Amino acid sequence: MGLLSNILLAPFLGPIYGTRWTLDKVDRVVREQLTDDTPIKEELMELQLKLETGEIDDPEYLRREAEIMQKLRDVRDWREKFGMSTSGGPVRVAEDDETE
Amino acid sequence: MTPGDNTAKQSDAIPSEFEGAGKYVYCIIRLERSRDFGEIGIGGGARVYTVTHKDLAAVVSDTPIVIYDPTRENVLAHEFVNETVMREFTLIPMSFGTVFRSEKDVLALLNSTYQAFTDVLEKMQDKIEFGLKILWDRDKVVAAIERDNDEIRRLKDEITRNAASSTYFARMQLGRLVEAAMEEASNRYVTDVHEQLKDVSVASRSNKVIGDRMILNAAFLVDRNAEKPFDERVKAISRQYEDLLTFKYTGPWPPYNFVTIKLKLEKAT
Repeated sequence: MGLLSNILLAPFLGPIYGTRWTLDKVDRVVREQLTDDTPIKEELMELQLKLETGEIDDPEYLRREAEIMQKLRDVRDWREKFGMSTSGGPVRVAEDDETE
Repeated sequence: MTPGDNTAKQSDAIPSEFEGAGKYVYCIIRLERSRDFGEIGIGGGARVYTVTHKDLAAVVSDTPIVIYDPTRENVLAHEFVNETVMREFTLIPMSFGTVFRSEKDVLALLNSTYQAFTDVLEKMQDKIEFGLKILWDRDKVVAAIERDNDEIRRLKDEITRNAASSTYFARMQLGRLVEAAMEEASNRYVTDVHEQLKDVSVASRSNKVIGDRMILNAAFLVDRNAEKPFDERVKAISRQYEDLLTFKYTGPWPPYNFVTIKLKLEKAT
């Protein structure tokens, strides 16, 4: 009976578990992408290098810098939403500070 | 801070909520007296001064409690203050954008991290940093490789001579050989530069390269006394490679790449 119900239910359980697992994974990947500012910072450094080497001019730099700043702000917002640490903004010495 | 916030608090503004109450911290130095560095701060020339605790001082300017975007303008303002301070002091640079809510919070930082700051200031005494980025011109490097590498030259000649009949395989092989030779050349240049700068620097650190033309993105820690010899050496190396490589040489900087103090900071809400 147990075996039979497993077999009978399998097609229904299978896809449900499968979907949930995929969603978890997608969620994790999306979350990582939303909260990782490393590629954006690299983009900014690359942009600065392009300005230095004369590949782009000043107005172009400022236009793209503004886009990158917006992306950084978006990441910061997501990090805050997920309760992760953010750089910049007001800070204070952590209160449970232990001297090493 | 939005205009809306201002209006809401206008009537019952309390001092700690005042717009300029926050402190933007640029760096930590050793200094017992207070000191004014002039109106050179971030956010349009705020006055830069010191908050002192025993023989340590935080170099700060007043700021609204905001998050500073790392725009060129803001980053340059941050760097300019540190450059100015650096002319007279050994300093520990703070990360860009570090804002404390009040002077009291800055004093708490100096107090709780006193020993670490003191130790690092001791280690960094009279040390400065230089940045060196090396870019290469792919076409020129490939041309040099084809000139110097017999095997590659022969294979290339063969392919050009028999353009119609040259096989896909021969082209693939040429591509692979050139790729390998380029990697080898890049390593050779980088090793040579490091080798030549070894005796005029205290330490070096390689960072991730930016873009596809860069083969070296390094920082060198240099003794203030050795600034001139280091400078001359860099110039000599860049002359040596002037046909192939572009040198981007910056500094002196505070030791951004050689000081890592993990501050136990939390978000102030």
